[in-house]
Amino acid sequence: MNLTIIGSGPGGYVAALKAAQLGAKVNVIESDEVGGTCLNWGCIPTKAILASTVALRKAKSLEDFGIDLLGSVSPNLSKIMERKERIVSTQVKGIRSLFKSRSVNLIEGKAVLLSPHKIEVRRKDGSAEIIDSDKIIIATGSKPAQLPLMPFDGEKILSSTDALKLNTIPKSLLIIGGGVIGCEFAFIFSALGTDITLLEIMPRAISTEDHEISEILQKELKKKKIKLLTGIKIEKVDIKHDGVHVYLHNGKEVIGEKLLVSVGRAFNTSGIGLEASGVRKGQRGEITVNERMETNVPDIYAIGDVVGGPLLAHKASEDGMVAAYNACGIEKKIDYSVVPTAIFTTPEIGSVGLRQHQAEERAIAVKIGRFQFRALGKAHAIGQIEGMFKIIADAKTDKILGVHIIGANASDLMHEGALAMKTGLTTRDVAGMIHAHPTLSEGFREAAMDVHGKAIHAVV
Amino acid sequence: MNPEDLKYHKEHTWVKLKKKKAVIGITDYAQDALGDIVYIDLPEVDIFVEANTEIAEIESTKATSAIISPVSGTIAEINEKLIDNPEIINEDPYGKGWIAVIDMQDASELDDLIDFDDYEAYLEEEAK
Repeated sequence: MNLTIIGSGPGGYVAALKAAQLGAKVNVIESDEVGGTCLNWGCIPTKAILASTVALRKAKSLEDFGIDLLGSVSPNLSKIMERKERIVSTQVKGIRSLFKSRSVNLIEGKAVLLSPHKIEVRRKDGSAEIIDSDKIIIATGSKPAQLPLMPFDGEKILSSTDALKLNTIPKSLLIIGGGVIGCEFAFIFSALGTDITLLEIMPRAISTEDHEISEILQKELKKKKIKLLTGIKIEKVDIKHDGVHVYLHNGKEVIGEKLLVSVGRAFNTSGIGLEASGVRKGQRGEITVNERMETNVPDIYAIGDVVGGPLLAHKASEDGMVAAYNACGIEKKIDYSVVPTAIFTTPEIGSVGLRQHQAEERAIAVKIGRFQFRALGKAHAIGQIEGMFKIIADAKTDKILGVHIIGANASDLMHEGALAMKTGLTTRDVAGMIHAHPTLSEGFREAAMDVHGKAIHAVV
Repeated sequence: MNPEDLKYHKEHTWVKLKKKKAVIGITDYAQDALGDIVYIDLPEVDIFVEANTEIAEIESTKATSAIISPVSGTIAEINEKLIDNPEIINEDPYGKGWIAVIDMQDASELDDLIDFDDYEAYLEEEAK
């Protein structure tokens, strides 16, 4: 059986490796860089830059750790970007060598479906070839969504991709969209010294998270002097000599040297021959698939951002695994019951499952446990005391339904909750397990105990 | 400010009347119980605050706690020095560590508050 995968992001490349493992002969067609958005313009480069800003913040607080700084520290953006490029290129090479080791055939060019089993590949040099494939997986991903009032120009009006290519630190930056991407960039550029104003249409920043977590994040934005304006509608955007002027619904005006638009992402479905192959799209423009990741056309699968749902690299990878199994004749269904999220703000957010407001909306009776990072010895030792653990449990069964953590290493800490949910554990199970001291994970156990009002290190 | 001249709310805030406006802060007992204060989330000027509701949030190395407003009214002024130096509250809770000035809606609310001796007695009672 031969399988062709269009796109080599975290969905496509994982599908390719899995299918190769299962014995398929695999082609991967990539029109840009191997690794897709995640590796080239998303998760990895942003975390590389973030790490530089974390180092900078730490250097600026050396005194708090009893270290005298004889001299000064300042960010060098071109070196920060060089470091980022190095990390990305190492990872890209890593995927290429994984492909090679599993005999996955990488074809660099643009894929267009001609029919359900035929793909034309147009290479950059102008040549073209036609590939016949028994099965196809579409993994074309998504791109930053534009707003008609403010099309990207890469100079003054930036997408997240453009922001990763800046060669000077802007004095001021307006960010439209206070979601995950907007907030991550806000903390990054704020650490570099940029004056940030976040504009959000919803009543709160990262409104998809538990509201209590979002409120703590908003306080952390305030501590870093990042301005957040919520409930904002934009009337007009003007580029003038002194910067980008944004006119708001309330008659106010904000000005920034540059404007970053992070209002969501658009599906990459045009120009790939969906019509010719007969693959159908849903109401929001996403490719519709069933739980085996099959489109309406036999032998064509679709995975990752392009099928909608949470736009997360690890969700795309899981889609890819499921599609690879099914394409190779092993029946498998996707399970989205536990999809964790990691947000790299300062501090981090890690969350999985039910939010408190969702429990209220759906009238689910829950019990809630909370525990503050500042009650942990380890949090004080590492100098990061902000944050909270929050566990939402079923009031009847005591099973853990949601875990929301904001604080140091929250993106890692959250997985204990995710595993507990996946295996159907109760808060009493977690409370009954010894957690190593001194660690931040102790906070998770304390929050589990607090569901029944029994946290040990909490003042009552 | 002399603590004996202030009015107190049982949620550990104090009020000092100054030209018909209420200067408020937290008590020495509160700052001591909180420990080292690392951040205060101040209210915005011009917003209205109801007595007995949260006016600000304080973070210490031990806890995060809501500060309860002793009176109702519009925030006329906030102590912006606290944004970068919240430890002033620990150092001088009745003076430089004041939190906000409230343009009172109803001066008779002051009658609901207790004086220094009663507050001291209340603390003793609570400690038992």
